[in-house]
Amino acid sequence: MIGGVSVVLALLAQVMLVNRVPLPAGGAPDLVLLAVVGAALGRGAAPGAVLGFFAGLLVDVMPPSAHLVGQYAFVLALVGYVAGRGAGGPVTTVVLCVLMAPLLAAAVGGLISDPRVTMSTLTEQVPVTVVYTLVVSPILVWLTAWGRQARFST
Amino acid sequence: MRDSRRARLILGVLLTAALIILTVDHRTGDSSPLRPLRAAGSYLFGTAEQLSGGVVRPVTTFVQAILAAPAAREHIEALKEENAKLRAGLLTGKLDAERAKELQRLLGLAGTGGYKVVPGNVIARRGQPGFEEAVQIDVGTNDGVRPEMTVLNGDGLVGRVLHASSRTSTVVLLSDPASAVGARLEKGKEIGVVHGVGENGRLVQFRLLDSTAPLSRGGRIVSFGSQHGRPYVPGVPIGVIERVESTPGELTRVAYARPYADLTALDVVGVVVEPPRRDPRDAVLPPKEGSR
Repeated sequence: MIGGVSVVLALLAQVMLVNRVPLPAGGAPDLVLLAVVGAALGRGAAPGAVLGFFAGLLVDVMPPSAHLVGQYAFVLALVGYVAGRGAGGPVTTVVLCVLMAPLLAAAVGGLISDPRVTMSTLTEQVPVTVVYTLVVSPILVWLTAWGRQARFST
Repeated sequence: MRDSRRARLILGVLLTAALIILTVDHRTGDSSPLRPLRAAGSYLFGTAEQLSGGVVRPVTTFVQAILAAPAAREHIEALKEENAKLRAGLLTGKLDAERAKELQRLLGLAGTGGYKVVPGNVIARRGQPGFEEAVQIDVGTNDGVRPEMTVLNGDGLVGRVLHASSRTSTVVLLSDPASAVGARLEKGKEIGVVHGVGENGRLVQFRLLDSTAPLSRGGRIVSFGSQHGRPYVPGVPIGVIERVESTPGELTRVAYARPYADLTALDVVGVVVEPPRRDPRDAVLPPKEGSR
């Protein structure tokens, strides 16, 4: 429940605030991804995947959107699964998820021959996004994992 | 082990579901059965975005002002003057007057071109998550906005309407890599196509169809117009050519242009609900200056 609310809040903050601010290098951190990772951390693989799937559907229908429904449902379901399952410690899990998500999204975009996914997307846009997201990740993951530190500190 | 297998099964089911949804949406296009879902999402979140827009606006303005500061250092002379004005403006609530001025310029542009526009405010922007460049504006079908209508602001072309719900609508920007606008060089008859290249709208690509036609820095581009003015009406200023690529042996020539409209900081925009009766040609272009 708290996970779902934090995902919706992150999504609203993303489209209303973060994306509208012209940051240097023309990128923005992906708050939704971090909210999903934070909410799925230590919850287990199955709840993580379900949470990610529905968060992704929300991303797909949230206006303004110009891509196909299902693209982010796929990406975030997989990210939620990995975050819930855990790969090493929490830090490596978060880094892995942040690296994985834009590449997966580009791969799915390439699969349906989205004209927005080209080589320059991968070399210019994705690295900027990854760096911004990693910079913000400690704060957001800590916020969304609020009150559950005890569970995944092991 | 059992739990992990169950989790993998759930993941498999979810991924398959996502792929099925994606395929259905991709194959059916405009008659997609997912349209009601999208419309519901648009209605629900569009309303939420519209309601909280008033709260968020001052924050965005503030952060934008801070981030623009280092780049403006070069124009320190002009900035000093402008800064004093802005500071006074912040105190006396001149920001509203600024918006009114922007609106007036928009109406001025619409008047010169003979367009009929419905003004609106940008309430949300997409960039992350996703690769598209799109914004949500607070006018919808209730105000006469329909999909495939031209969107402009006081400076020039912004994009076109993609979806419209009753009170909000989604606009795909000029800088979206999937958008293509028919364009014409000023005065000449040379036509080409403007494509977005991402980069947050700092530059757009202009592909001139005739490889032998002269193309130089500082050339200005206006929209060519589509049939019945949908999605693009003719004669809207698009941008100034910034650099020309040399593409020996290719059938088209490529140049990069800076859009007149600042696509990174959009606020007041107008939707053209009625195209002009005759093409305004170059009449709407702003007065020529050195760099802008």
